[in-house]
Amino acid sequence: MIEARSLSARVGEFALRDVSFAVPRGGYGVVIGPAGSGKTTLLETVAGIVAQRGGTLLLGGRDATALPPETRDVGFVYQHGYLFPHLSVEDNIAYGADDPALARAVARRLGADAFGARDVRGLSGGERQVVALARALARRPAVLLLDEPFSALDPRRRTLVRREVRAIHAEWGMTVLQVTHDFTEAGLLGDVAILLDGGRVLQYGPPEEVFRRPASPYIAEFLGAENVFAGRARALDETSPDWVDGAPHDVAGRFRAVEFRTGDLTIYAVGDAPDGPGYAVIRAEEVLLSREQHGAGEPAATSARNRFHGTIVELATLGALTRVTVDVRGTPLVAALTTRSVHELGLGVGVAVEASFKAMAVHLC
Amino acid sequence: MNETSGRRRPLYRAASVGALAAAALFVLFLAVPVVQLVAVAGGSGLAKLLDDAELRDALALTWLTASVATLLGVVGGTPLAWALARRPFRGRAVVAALLDLPLLIPHPAAGIALLLVLGRDSVAGRALLAFGLRIAGSPGGIVAAMLFVSAPLFISGAREAFARVDPRYEAVARTLGDPAWRVFRRVTLPLSMRGLVAAAVVMWARAVSEFGAIVVLTYNPKVTSVLGYDRFTSYGLPEALPVAAVLVILSLLPLSFLRALRYERGMGGGLAAVAP
Repeated sequence: MIEARSLSARVGEFALRDVSFAVPRGGYGVVIGPAGSGKTTLLETVAGIVAQRGGTLLLGGRDATALPPETRDVGFVYQHGYLFPHLSVEDNIAYGADDPALARAVARRLGADAFGARDVRGLSGGERQVVALARALARRPAVLLLDEPFSALDPRRRTLVRREVRAIHAEWGMTVLQVTHDFTEAGLLGDVAILLDGGRVLQYGPPEEVFRRPASPYIAEFLGAENVFAGRARALDETSPDWVDGAPHDVAGRFRAVEFRTGDLTIYAVGDAPDGPGYAVIRAEEVLLSREQHGAGEPAATSARNRFHGTIVELATLGALTRVTVDVRGTPLVAALTTRSVHELGLGVGVAVEASFKAMAVHLC
Repeated sequence: MNETSGRRRPLYRAASVGALAAAALFVLFLAVPVVQLVAVAGGSGLAKLLDDAELRDALALTWLTASVATLLGVVGGTPLAWALARRPFRGRAVVAALLDLPLLIPHPAAGIALLLVLGRDSVAGRALLAFGLRIAGSPGGIVAAMLFVSAPLFISGAREAFARVDPRYEAVARTLGDPAWRVFRRVTLPLSMRGLVAAAVVMWARAVSEFGAIVVLTYNPKVTSVLGYDRFTSYGLPEALPVAAVLVILSLLPLSFLRALRYERGMGGGLAAVAP
């Protein structure tokens, strides 16, 4: 396990401050955050490469605060590999290995054995990353620290290597902490997501929690939630006419009914946000669009509590995905649809649609 | 092209021609005396080696003392250079400035300063004499003078060589189980080796060509530079020329070695080619 308690460190003018998080034994933690947020410094501090100035660091249950890097039983892979240029690929992988057979087995599993006795100066960026991974794993460390280790790999190889690292992690019961810019990767790999900015942990927890319930509008925007609305929340009670239907708001604090007003819109949500100003976050993937049927009578029955009429003002297609922006009474609402759905529904700029999303899809912060 | 740039073009051309001419003159100024000396007296100097025992002895003494001084400089200077490049410590700037001092002061003054500290009448000189070690007026004095004036060149070059090694290579090696001293041996030293060798060669060449400090500290036995000076003042230019030519050839050897080192396969890209 990796447990940081109020960790602080300094590199030049940059400082990590009061960093606390825990990745359980055998867990996979992902560190996400904007460039310059201190992700690499955090990993280097855990490895003992950057001197810790305060706080406590536990690795595998023992206090590693004052331990030098060579006794922490950590493996470290930098984004650029940092392969020793005076050694061959084989010698790089075997550099710290106690068991040459294990080193060869790891190299084979990751496909690094194919580079054999080549001069590391002739390797591509992706090949270097694979060799660097093999070199770190060849020691079978208890804790593996990865600084964007798959970033230079082509998509096919990335999938293969990522899968193999995940498999080795599971087999050996290693604890992993990985820096990534790739939110998909964070969601795929991580048991714990640590969101870092300005040298501080903004939020940490299971990735789905961090992505679905960002702790602030800044985090929501950073994590790619397009629909972030400023407004005012108000808890509903049993007298509210339109939704609660007799469910008192204090049945369970986290599941009380909340009405959130932003501009001319009223959004219904479920949550524990206090009354007053705040933000509502709705991921574009949660928003459904349907064509308005003129003269079709009553709208179709649906469980979605939030339904708005609007007009499409923009479509942005990226392969099989299309982001559709709908103007709802002056408020832009973004929906992420498959491009096929967009074609089948005949959606285009100026088309009137109904946008809907469930109250549970609204996160208040 | 607008009117202004059209007017400026001849001006630029004239400036370029002027700069080129100045550069050519400068190169000639640096190269002609050396080339002419070797051309005029190189052959006779090398021939003289066969029948001039004093010149042979001076040459051997110069090689030996410069090599000993370089060895001492490398052994003593490498840890210091590493500390200056890698370990921030209080007073690092002062130490760095002190190390530049021998390069800045006139070399005869350096010789006098060394004589004050290591001469027969000094505390250190007397203490060394008690152990049978005489510095002034002995090969030890030559080594001391050479070390004093040329070691800063090695330390400066070695510091640069260490600083060019990205500390992340060392960091990775630490996480691979090596303590700091083993990282130095397995990673830092191999990656900085070319720079260290180059710095040692420069130090050796500087030691070979030293005159001012040596002549104050140890006139006899004579190193090649002192012998050349002695022949010039005693017998005039014709006798000094072959000695000077041999000294120049001796000094050019490490330069050729350095060039070979630089253009060796892989040096073109060097570490920069593999560093991320």
